Parts: sequence; C-alpha cells; structure tokens
Amino acid sequence: MAPVPDISVVVPVYNEEDSLAILYQEVRDAIDAMGARWELILVDDHSRDTSLARMLDLRSRDRRVKVLHFRKNFGQTAALSAGFEAARGAIVITMDGDLQNDPADIPRLVAKMREGFDIVAGWRKNRQDGFVLRRLPSKVANRLIAWVTDTPIHDTGCTLKAFRRQLVKNLSLYAEQHRFLPAMSRGSGAQVAEIVVHHRARRFGQSKYGLERALRVLLDLFVIKLISQFAHRPLHYFGLFSLPFAGLALAVLAAVADDAASWPLLVFSAFILFLLPAVHFILLGLLSELIVMASGVHKRSVLDRLVNRRPQEAL
Amino acid sequence: MSPVSAPERPVRAEESAAAARETLDVTLVVPIETVDAEIDQVVEAIGAQFERLRKGWECVLVYDGVRGAAWQKGQALAARYGSRVKIVGFEKPFGESVCLSAANEIALGKVLVTSPQYVQIDPIEIEHMLATLEAGADMTVAWRKPRVDPWLNRLQSASFNWLMRKINGGKFHDLNCYFRAFRRQVLAEVAVYGDMYRFLPLIAQRQGFRVVELEVRHLKEWGKAGFFGVGVYVRRFLDVVGVVFLTRFTLKPLRFFGSVGMLLSLVGGSLLTYLVVKRKWIDGQGLSESPAFTLALMLFVLGVQVIGFGLVGEIIIYTQARNLREYRIDRRWDDDGPDEPHAHA
Repeated sequence: MAPVPDISVVVPVYNEEDSLAILYQEVRDAIDAMGARWELILVDDHSRDTSLARMLDLRSRDRRVKVLHFRKNFGQTAALSAGFEAARGAIVITMDGDLQNDPADIPRLVAKMREGFDIVAGWRKNRQDGFVLRRLPSKVANRLIAWVTDTPIHDTGCTLKAFRRQLVKNLSLYAEQHRFLPAMSRGSGAQVAEIVVHHRARRFGQSKYGLERALRVLLDLFVIKLISQFAHRPLHYFGLFSLPFAGLALAVLAAVADDAASWPLLVFSAFILFLLPAVHFILLGLLSELIVMASGVHKRSVLDRLVNRRPQEAL
Repeated sequence: MSPVSAPERPVRAEESAAAARETLDVTLVVPIETVDAEIDQVVEAIGAQFERLRKGWECVLVYDGVRGAAWQKGQALAARYGSRVKIVGFEKPFGESVCLSAANEIALGKVLVTSPQYVQIDPIEIEHMLATLEAGADMTVAWRKPRVDPWLNRLQSASFNWLMRKINGGKFHDLNCYFRAFRRQVLAEVAVYGDMYRFLPLIAQRQGFRVVELEVRHLKEWGKAGFFGVGVYVRRFLDVVGVVFLTRFTLKPLRFFGSVGMLLSLVGGSLLTYLVVKRKWIDGQGLSESPAFTLALMLFVLGVQVIGFGLVGEIIIYTQARNLREYRIDRRWDDDGPDEPHAHA
C-alpha cells in the first residue's frame, strides 16, 4: 500500500480531453514543490470525447492519479460528491477541469487551511469571462447568496476550494449544492476563509454554463437558507412565510374596522384568503418538524458538530 | 459507448455480493393475474428457446392472488420440469411490481426475462433480446410492431407512449409491453413499487442504465378491446405526473413546486395589479363587483401554497439524502497497488 496522501485533489471532468495532461502536470508541480504526498482524483462525468482514455493514460504513468467513471452524465455536484467519497487526504481540494483554476494556488490554499480553517474558498477577483453573461449574473447571485446565508464569500461559483476531509465526509451533497458548501458548513460551525486566486481564460473547449442557471440558483437560495439555518427547526422557517400573510389578514380586519359597510364580501374573501396561507405555512412547518424528528437527522447532526470541533487531525 | 482499454482491470463498482447467488444464465418471470393464464404455453415456448440457445434457465411463476386452473397448470409444469419451475403465490393480488420483487428474491439467473401470462411475443425474439444484453445493454424492452390488437387499443397505447415521450424525454414506444429482459443489477438499484413496473425502462434509463428497445413480432393480445373504465385513465394520468416528478425532480422538489407556484402567483399577482390600477386610475369601479378580484387573490395564494409544499419536499430530501445517491460509478481505477507497467492498446 502506498502511504495515505496529505492532499486529495478532486476534479470533475466533462469533455476536457485537451486540458487533462496540462492539469496533471500543473497539479504535480505545485504540490511536489510543497513536499506533500498527494492524489489526483479525476471524476469522469461520462465525457463524450477521449477524456477517459487520457485519464487512464495519466494513471498508467502515475498511480497517484485515480479515475472514477460515471455511468452517465450526472453533473458537477455528483462528480464532486463521488470524489469526496474516494478522497483520503486530510485536505481535499476541488477544482475545475478546464484549467481556468490555477493549481499554483494550491500551496496558498493549504497554508491558509493550516492556519486553522475548515474551508478555504477561492475568489476569482479578476475573472476572465464575459461580463454580461458570466460576471454580472455571478456578482448579483453571489451578493444575494452571501446576504441570505450570512456567509461573507464573494465567489461561491469558484470551484477551487479546500476542505478539511472530516467535513466533506460528513456531508451528503445533492442537487446543485456544491456551490453552497461553505454556507451549509457554516451552519454546523465550520470556520470559513477566502483567498484571492488566479483565474485564467479558457484555453480549450466550451464554457458549460449559461444565463438560465442564475434563475435556478435563485430557487436554490430558498433551499439553502432552509437547510443551512433552519434544517433542525423548520417551523421557524415556515413561520417566516406565515407572518406576512397573518399580517395582511390583520391589516384587512383593521381596514374594515372603521368602514364596515363598504365592500363586505370583498373584505371577507380577502381576509380568508390571507388567513389561509398563514395557517397553511404553520401546518407545513409542523409537518416538517415531524419529518425531521422521524428521520433522526438531528442526532446525526450533533455528531457532525462534535466531529468538526477541534482538536482536529493535523493538516 | 465502448469501454476504453485500460492498463489494469477496472473495479466494476457494482459487482454485488448477490453475484454468488446468480448461478444460472436466465430466469423467466411470469406474474399470473387471472385463472385462464396460458402459462404452460409460455414456459414451453420460451423454455424451448432457452434450451436452443444453451442457456441455464429457470422459471418463476408468481401467482398474484390467483388459484384455480392456473394453479393446476403451474403444478403440472413443476412436476414436468422439476426444480426449473418455481412457484410463489400471494393470498391476494398485489400487482406486477410486487410479483417482480418476489421473483427477484428467489431467482438464480444473471438475467431476468419478464413475460405476460400468455405468448404475446414471438418466442424467437428472446434470442435478439439476450444478444442485445450480451452486447452491453443493461435492459432490452420489446416494441410490438406491428401490433395485432384492435385499432382503438393501438391508438390509446400510441397516445400514451407519445405523451410519455413528449413529457419525459424518453424514447420508448411501448411501455405497456411487459416482455423485457434485464440484468439483475437493474432491480438492485431501481425501486419498483406500485405502478412503477410499467415505467421500469424509463427509471432504469434515468439511473444511467443502458436500455435498448427492440422491435418484436406481436403474436396476440389479451385483454379488453375498446375503452377502459374512467378509473384506468385517471390512474394512468396520475402515473404520468408521478413518473415525471420522480424521474426529474426527486432531488430538487422546489424546482418543480417552485416553478408551478411562481407561475400561479405571477398570474394572480399580475391580475391583481391590473384590477387595482384599473379601479384606482381608470374607471373607479368597485373591486367587489369583479369576480376576477377573488380569482386573482386565490391564484396568488394557491401559488404561494404550492411553493410551501416544495419546501416541505426539500426537508424530506434533506433528511433522506444519505439514502439517495445521485450518481452511479460505472468503473473505477483508484486502488493504490504498486505500479504495474502494462502496454496498453
């Protein structure tokens, strides 16, 4: 058995045949210079080009390269999730396969981790993408995410991040949650830091994201807020939705108090209609409490929090 | 996609412990729904094909709450074929999905072939279906073409399949034909319950299995000609909605409920705004005169409530996320053994 690596680099790969060799070389040079043991986990998200053959080629030359091949295209979150599961290093670093992240930033991420953080996120301060289609929506989305989740991160979309292994081993990722990892982990007490990283223009291949993604991120925000801060007290979350409707119902009542004769039917129906969701949300909140209680997830989460407490394993 | 030649043997991620139990090539599974089932013909015809193809085979007859003549036939088959024919039965009908699960519990075949309780498809097609599996598919499903049943049934079936293709993006033309062959692995990963038997190919494909549809010769069709009861259409419609939801939004319920809810709220909200603006600045007509006002409010509120359901869905998914793995690893090369320099093609 080869020794357990210090650093696991997880890279989701989808149609990156031109980038892989360079990526490998850069990762190797960057981490070897630190004198650390490492592994590079390439997760092939069912690429349609020759990516898999290139990966296996790399592995045949260097066994520190690990290759996972998906049965079909499952998306970036799934790829990261699979990579996390396979990772054995105390520090897990995630990055894109398209060379836009610079492996030369890895030593700085690791140094920051050794200051005692649980997550270090990259911030592409000088993004090399189009402004209208990529940078502007991203900026708006990031502000929104930071505000909603109360996590001061400028660039949630940057894949280049470093995690303490214990932390990612305790996560179950699904849907498109990878971008919200810092926000979600903060809910369980993780220390999150951010450093500026290089960002390079695309050299090969096609950009895989578009504008419509921003809309989905918006819906996801509701979910992230719910899961990162209210997963164990959903009634409070639903209460937040209930409140404005209860307020509206009361306002209708107040309005009618001095003018009872005018449009009584209308007032009545408006009152009922506002009262309905107010009650509805409370009921949904209770239902959610039941689901959380029955699932036992609250117990598990206490364990997660204990695991995440220091003293940590040495990095 | 053909596998890439590798410098080492990849670890098939899904070589299950059950493999030890799979001592035969193929198990024929026949759910029996009525007393007049022609299972003797089915077992004879398909068994003969297995013999011809030199497959180690067995047959599991699952009596779905059925006894009588069908049961006698089964006993006769068991006497004739010995341990090749296994019989299980329920005291009351539970449906095809449960039958399949029961058969899966005792089957010894590496591949399962399901067939209706009469010879619906030319048995010779078995050869093609098994060959397709051997060529790398995980599941082959039959497409009766051309069909021999009355035009009204064909039309209904065609519309149903067309609708499924449009809504769900699958590519299947004959989900109602239960003549199928698949690897055991499919059942290990795809939950089959309720009416999911029908949609097994769709769900399997969604999980990343390679599902191939083969045109087969249709011999005869049982069952009612003409229209079905209203209940059948209602159930079928609900199934479609359920399958679309489960295959596309399982892990992101708010995407589904949120989109529907936002649409409703948006329509209600715009109507509301229009009415208020109209009253205030245009004609001063009282809002209570307008039923549209109540409609607008109700749409808005309904939309909000739909979003609420999506949030509860998210809670459910969050609490169960550990049981719902989103990805399937096909092959992995990640062991740490010493370097084995191999020439690779």
